[in-house]
Amino acid sequence: MQSIRRSRRAFPLAIAALLSVTVFGAQQLTLPNQKDSVHFAVIGDSGTGGSDQAQVAQRLTAIHATFPFDIVLMMGDNLYGGNAERDYVRKFETPYQTLLDANVKFYAALGNHDDATEVMYKPFNMNGKKYYTFKPGNASVRFFALDSNYMDKEQLAWLEKELAGSQSDWKIVFFHHPLYSSGATHGSTPALRDQIEPLFVKYGVDAVFSGHDHFYERLKPQKGIYYWVSGGAGKLRKGDIRSTGMTEKGFDQGYHFMLVELTPKTLYFQTISDKGVTIDSGALPRRDPQTRK
Amino acid sequence: MQFLAYMRIALCTGLAIGMIALPICHPSAVAPLSAQTPVNHDAQVLADFNDRVKGYLALRDKVDGDAPPLEPTRDPGKIEAAQKTLAALIRNARAGAKQGDIFAPEIEKTLRALLRPEVKGAAGAQAKAEILDVKPMVELKVNAEYPSAEPVSTVPPTVLQALPPLPKDAGLEYRFVRKHMILLDTRANLIVDYLLNAIP
Repeated sequence: MQSIRRSRRAFPLAIAALLSVTVFGAQQLTLPNQKDSVHFAVIGDSGTGGSDQAQVAQRLTAIHATFPFDIVLMMGDNLYGGNAERDYVRKFETPYQTLLDANVKFYAALGNHDDATEVMYKPFNMNGKKYYTFKPGNASVRFFALDSNYMDKEQLAWLEKELAGSQSDWKIVFFHHPLYSSGATHGSTPALRDQIEPLFVKYGVDAVFSGHDHFYERLKPQKGIYYWVSGGAGKLRKGDIRSTGMTEKGFDQGYHFMLVELTPKTLYFQTISDKGVTIDSGALPRRDPQTRK
Repeated sequence: MQFLAYMRIALCTGLAIGMIALPICHPSAVAPLSAQTPVNHDAQVLADFNDRVKGYLALRDKVDGDAPPLEPTRDPGKIEAAQKTLAALIRNARAGAKQGDIFAPEIEKTLRALLRPEVKGAAGAQAKAEILDVKPMVELKVNAEYPSAEPVSTVPPTVLQALPPLPKDAGLEYRFVRKHMILLDTRANLIVDYLLNAIP
């Protein structure tokens, strides 16, 4: 009798435990979540205003409670289909309202679907510039946002000057068009790569984030630099990743966002799908800027 | 083989010295306009292009005073209003503008010649592919709005380096609508001029 009672009590507990594994465990943090490290998130090609963007935004918002990132990098295509006032509201302010209210700062790069006047929108933190750099607090990290739509001589000169002048341990660059991508629809951009990758190598860029292709791809390090394509926070092109031999990890079956944590020596990352499943994670060492090893 | 290579270098060096020396030594060093070297002609054409671009910007500056200032703001309504007002003022001020006002026939020829090597053949294949990566549907019309629902083309660095530079921070950009090149005013989101079949 007693054992039956015990099993009756145990049953609801088992259900609850199972639910918690399914609902919360799937979105369990794999990052060290250290107090003094730099936390940021990455979203790309987000601005559709649709239910898929909303679902990714909800996941991102939910995890902010356990992984309190201060920064969200936006890989471009922030507003699809128009830049009227209603577009800013529906495709940015509404989905990320809770994060905006929590003083999370979004830093945008321009995509090929973005209007140039987005640089004037304060919550994108572009300060009127199509390309810019910023440093969060006292951390030895510097971010560089580029306009990959229009890499003219001025921007190249600016990039070289800023990279050369940066003393930060971590140099993180983000922009819309990926230098390396296994996307069947868009893919790599060699003409752009020929111009900017030598600067990345020369000045010790550590990691590069891009969007444009609507999936997740972590590439095998190229010339000692870590590259990601993260273009699925609002758009998805299912089955678009081709076999190129460049892919370390790819995911083109669902929407996603990324979480990144930087400690002085290590870049930790976790990529989470719209269903709350961790699709990639890892810890990558900061390379010696001289030897790139 | 090595001898041939030396001959080639010698020939090229000789030609280069000759080209530099010719304008100094020749009696027609100060030649009439019609007899100027192609280099001088191109320089003159590009100067004309710069003047036309400056003319457009002067007109925009003039009407800009009547538009709401475009400063970083939290209010997207202000951004939209500033862009639309500026575009309307420009349209009104250059109501008679037509294709070729900026890309005049001689300028057009020069731009095509500058573009061709960057987008043609095996050497230009990558740049061409990156330009044609997106295929926006845009009606080419001077003073027309660039449709906000359409993507803009990327313009590879090699192409931008070949084309004459546009004034810094002026909000003017070269863009492509499929094979056609446009001059886009990004502040007003307005097509200033266009060049048909710029990409061969």
